[in-house]
This record gives sequence, C-alpha cells and structure tokens, in this order.
Amino acid sequence: MKKRQKIKEKIFSLLSIAGFLACWWLITDVFQLANTSLFPSPVTVFETFVDKLTNANPDGNILGVHILNSLLVVGIGYFAGTLLGIPFGIALGWYKKFEMTVRPLFDIIRTIPPIAWIPIFILWLGIGLIAKSAIVFLTVFIAAALNAYTGITSINPVHMWAGQTMGASNWQLLWKIGIPTAVPMICTGLKIGFNTAWTSLVGAELLGATEGLGYMIQMARVYCRADLVIVGMLTIGVIGLVLSIILDYLEIILTKGRY
Amino acid sequence: MKKRKTNIQWERLIYGGAAILLFLVIWQILVKPGSAKFATPLEVGEFILQHITTKVGPCTIWGHAGWSLSRVGVGYILAAAAGIVLALLMSQSKVCNIILHPLFDLLRPIPPIAWVPLAILWFGIFEKAKYFIIFIGAFVPFVMNTYTGAVRVDKKLIDAALMLGTPPRTIFFRVVFPAIVPQIFAGAQVALTNAWMTVIGAEMARATEGVGWMILKGMENADMAQIVSGMAVIGVTGFLIAALMRWLEKHLIKWNVRER
Amino acid sequence: MCEQIKVQVKNLTKSYGELLVLDNVSFEVKKGEFLCIVGPTGCGKTTFLNSLTKLHDIDSGEILLDSVPVNLKKQSIAYIFQENSVLSWRTVAENVALGLEFKKKELALTKNEIKKKVRDALSIVGLLKFENYYPNQLSASMLQRVVIARAFVIAPELLLMDEPYGQLDINLRFRLEDEVVKICKQFNTTVIFITHNLEEAVYVGDRILILTNKPSKIKEELENPLPRPRDVTSSEFIKLREYVTDQIRWW
Repeated sequence: MKKRQKIKEKIFSLLSIAGFLACWWLITDVFQLANTSLFPSPVTVFETFVDKLTNANPDGNILGVHILNSLLVVGIGYFAGTLLGIPFGIALGWYKKFEMTVRPLFDIIRTIPPIAWIPIFILWLGIGLIAKSAIVFLTVFIAAALNAYTGITSINPVHMWAGQTMGASNWQLLWKIGIPTAVPMICTGLKIGFNTAWTSLVGAELLGATEGLGYMIQMARVYCRADLVIVGMLTIGVIGLVLSIILDYLEIILTKGRY
Repeated sequence: MKKRKTNIQWERLIYGGAAILLFLVIWQILVKPGSAKFATPLEVGEFILQHITTKVGPCTIWGHAGWSLSRVGVGYILAAAAGIVLALLMSQSKVCNIILHPLFDLLRPIPPIAWVPLAILWFGIFEKAKYFIIFIGAFVPFVMNTYTGAVRVDKKLIDAALMLGTPPRTIFFRVVFPAIVPQIFAGAQVALTNAWMTVIGAEMARATEGVGWMILKGMENADMAQIVSGMAVIGVTGFLIAALMRWLEKHLIKWNVRER
Repeated sequence: MCEQIKVQVKNLTKSYGELLVLDNVSFEVKKGEFLCIVGPTGCGKTTFLNSLTKLHDIDSGEILLDSVPVNLKKQSIAYIFQENSVLSWRTVAENVALGLEFKKKELALTKNEIKKKVRDALSIVGLLKFENYYPNQLSASMLQRVVIARAFVIAPELLLMDEPYGQLDINLRFRLEDEVVKICKQFNTTVIFITHNLEEAVYVGDRILILTNKPSKIKEELENPLPRPRDVTSSEFIKLREYVTDQIRWW
C-alpha cells in the first residue's frame, strides 16, 4: 500500500512539473504573451543548454569548463574548511580555557555574513582561484566549527560520568565519548556548510571572476541573454541539489545504528 | 553558588577581552598606516566615526544602513505574506500540495543570489530588482517552516476539537494557527538573516547606495578602511535585528519554550 | 581472623553552596559485603556515591578504598547510575567492552582477550544473543542488563548501584535482584547499593545503613542476618522490614 502511495506521489510530482513546463511553453511560444528576449520559452532554454556544451560564446568557456571550475573551487574550500573547522569546533567545546579565549573573537567574525567578506578577499587576493576558495573556506569553517561545537557540548552527562568512573583519561573521554556524541551535529554542519558554501561561491563568482557558473550568468546578463542566465541558474540548482543528496547519504552512513 | 557564577563571568571577560585586545594590537603593529591595501584598526575606527556625519558617496553610514534595511523591509514583508499563505495552502489542501510542492522543490536549490542577473534583466537596475531578490531569499524559509509546522500539528489536538463539535474554520484559527506560530517565527528569523545577507549581495552586484554598495566601492577604491567599516556595520546591524527577533519571540510567544 | 575492610568513610562532609547535605558521615564496608543505603529522597545518597567516585569534590573528610584514597585509574570501580548510561552509537558488545578499552594499557589485554571477556559477561546476564544489536533495538530492562554486564566485565573491586531497577516492573526487578546478588557473591564483589524501596533493601542487603534527612547523618546501621535465599513473606523478613520502615519515618 505504502509503495503504491509513493509511486502515485512521484507520478503526480512529475505531472505537475510537466504541467508547469507546458504552461510556460504555451505562454511564450504558442500564445507569445511575453517578451521572449526576457522570458525565453523552455524550448529555447533547452537549445541554449545543448549549445553551451560546446559553444564558448559569449563568456569564453563552454559549460563544462564553468562547472568544473566552480566544483574545483568549492571542493578546495570545502575540504580545507571542514578539515580545520571540525577540530577547531571540537577543541572549542572541549577545552574550557580555549573557549573562553577564542570564542568572543569567533563570534565577532561569525556575525559578518560570508558575502560581506568578498570585497576584502578580492582586494587582498585578487579575483582568481585563491580568493574564491578563501571565501568558501571561511564559510565552511564557520559552519563546521559551530556545529562541531554544538555537538560536543551536547554530551549526555551520564555518559561522561560512566567514562570518568571507569578511569578514562581526558583524551579517552574525548575520543570515545565526546566525538561520537558530536557526529550527528557534525554531519548537520557538513550539510549546512555545503549549502552556504555553494551560495557564497556563486556570489564570489558574480562579483569577481573569469570563469565559473556565477561568472557565466553574470556575463550572460551583460549580453542580455536571459536564456543563458536561466540555463546557468538551473545548472547551479541541480548541481547544488545533487551534492546535497550525496551528503545526505554520507550522514546516513556515519550515523548508522543510532536511530 | 552565586559567587562561583560571577567568578566565571569575570574569567570569560578577561580571557576573551585579552584575546581580542591582542588581536587588535598585532593587527595595528603589522600594518603600516597609509599603506595601499591595508588599514590599521585605528584608521578603521576613525573612518566609522568620521562618516557617521560626513557622507560616503551619496549618504552617511546611517543613510546606507537605512537604504539596505528599507529594501529588506519591503522584500521581507512580501515574502512573509506570500510564503505563509502558500505554505498554509499546501498543508491544508492536498490538491494544492500536489501541484505546488514539486515546483517549490525545483526552485528551492537555486541560491537567491543566483537570481540577481535575471532580476536585473527583468526589473532593471533599481529598487524592484532588489526587492525581488530579497523576496526570494526570505520566501523559502517562510514556506518551509510554516509548512513543516502546519503538517506536524498534533493530530490529537485537532481530533479533540472535532470531537467537541468545533466547526472546521474555527479549528483552523483557534487550534492549528496558534500551534504553528512558534514554527512560523523560527522561519521568520531564518528568513530575516537570509534577507539581510541577500540584500548585501544584491547591492554589491548593482546599486548606488546601501551598505553592500559601500563595501564594493571600498574594494574598487582599494580603501580597506571603508570595506572594514562596512563589514562592521553589516555585522552589527545583522546582530541587532537577530536580537530584536529573539526579543520579540520571548515576549510575543510566551507559551513557547524552545530550546536554544 | 578479622575481616578485610574494603571501604572506609571518615567524617565525610559535603555541601552545595550553603546547603549542607552530608554531615560528618563515617562508616566502613567489609570486603564482599552487600551494603544497602536507604533514606528519604534527596538526603544525599547519590551525592555520597558521586563523592566517592570523585565526580564531586568534598568539603572535608576522606574516603579510602583498600586503605588508600580512591584512584579511579588504578582501582576498578563500577558505578551503575539511575539513568541508563548505554552509549547509543555502540553495539551491546562494544558497550560492554568500554571499561576494558579504557584500561587496555594497564591490563595489557589483546583484542581477542577483550572479546572473550565481553562474551563471558554477556552470557552471565543472558544477552549473548544480542551482542551485535544496537541499544535502540533493546528494551529498558535489557539495556540495564547491558550496563550490569559492562560493570562486571572489569571485575570491579567495588560496585556502586544507584536505584538501578527503578525503571523496571516488578517481575524484572525480582529477577535482576536475584541475578545480581548471585553474581556478586560468586565474585565476592563489595557492593554499595542505594534504594528507596525498603523491601528491596532488606531483600538484597547484608547490612543496611539508614540516613536521616538533610543534613544527613547516619541514623542506624543494622546487620541483616536473614539467610539466603530470602522469603519476603516470612515473618522475620516482615519484622525486619517494618523495623527499617519505622526508622525512616519520612512521611
């Protein structure tokens, strides 16, 4: 019964999207109710998509290159951000002295939205790979550290007492009880970190870059190519979604058995 | 017990304060005053104080903040209205849900800032485009939170009201709605933070005033003092409006005890 | 031949801020003895166990285990809390192994030796079949048995139990009470057992320590000479239980 329900729901979703596309197409191509240079039909958008796979105009690169570039930047920033952010957050939650010292500074940096860091990073590091990765790094670092911190500080006191009375050292308590407790929150941090990183990346590419998906849609606007802008937006959305789903699976693997 | 608590507060103040002070001192020492791409903390402070009254471009710092906030205001209110209505529709009517929810899910993964070029093409470079982008940024959290809240209303509450003979309309206004208000508020807070971040992005992309414009101009003029001042204003304003929301939540939704 | 004294509590005083909880408490526990501590709710029984295991600091007095101050690293103490302390991310077997893992170096155990000890402990509490299950798949009483297995696997010199059967229904209580007493006698474990259920205290205890209300002092120490297995319906049992009840009188 349940499976049937689910299949039914999936079919309806697809029908709804198909219906939406149909309406869109009707409005633009059939009834010509809109200015097609600003509001292209889905057919045009699709054609542009296919064309962009091989055509480097008007921004100098084919779609594939832009995608790879964005992925590269996000990859570097994300990897570095989690590698440094998670231990930082754990230390922040575990060592009281460290928290008392560093936390206020961290909180101040945290209130400034990642996007506001773009101008200063561009000023310092130019508009290349390094500046963009730095912005992604900062965004991910903050999210990862914050969630790791929340995870560690959510330790169940009973678990700590159990470990302490069994003669565990501080280090053993951290590794065997502290960090495992924090794993679910760390996973949340990984997911949130990615979403904000992807947003920051698009912002950075819009404002100062020479390739990447954000740059592509910015250039498309300059050349008044609404169809290309839409292709870019959809690509950004789809890739963001796919990577998000991968992280969801990662979370299921890392938290197996708990729930 | 009380003595211990204030001791810890003092310790925090001293440790934290010392760290910040040390950071500022090192920063001050490392940078040569008057250098091209860098500014000392003192220069930044000077800039802020100076420009509370004198103008940076078309208006003072207050003016810029005002512009940004006003844009947020318009986009935010529109998003709240549209978002809550849509979510309630989707949660109460299965037909609406089936039609609208997939469309929403399709557009959701696109970051608000990715809408900037399209918005500029559609609405030009003036205010409408910015309202639109802020609307998108705030719309998603309102919809998601309101929907989740409405769908998760404890069935028992509704069943109890039905059993007592309450008409459906009254059930909605007296049972369902109060139950989801805390959740809507949570969405409102996320939406506000999003809106604030989105307006900065929108202004950086294309504007003639606003805090986002201010830091972009600073970048173009290689004026780090201006950039950092702008960042400070952005940070402080963002913090204040978040604090305002929390205060509102505490006093308006007194029955809600949400863990923080 | 004098019996060995396992635990010595001397002039233990503990207060929380201005509230005096334990007031100059002194007593001894012999090796292999099953001591029950009873008293009104909130009189400091849990505080006492926490002081013993160094989870709290004490104001004055000392607690000696084998004539030396308590050293959690070198001496093996097992503490079973009121709330279940099973780790949700570890299987049953991994949970039981926890104590051994902490003392791996001191005890110089190999992985296989740990595995064998864990299995032995699980057989004793009857959970060997469930060694690879996760806690969310088990019932409350099974989880409590996991905690008991975890306690016994480290062959503790001192076993502390704080109302361990509070969450369980009566049948399970009886069963676990019997099982645990049996294992303790088998390994000659010294036990300090806290409960507010007087019938349980008289049923399991070799000796009963009655505390007063805050600030707690020892009201009375009684020996429980009834031979095991004990019959809760026998007149001697009932007499002893009524006597203890009389002494408590907290209502």
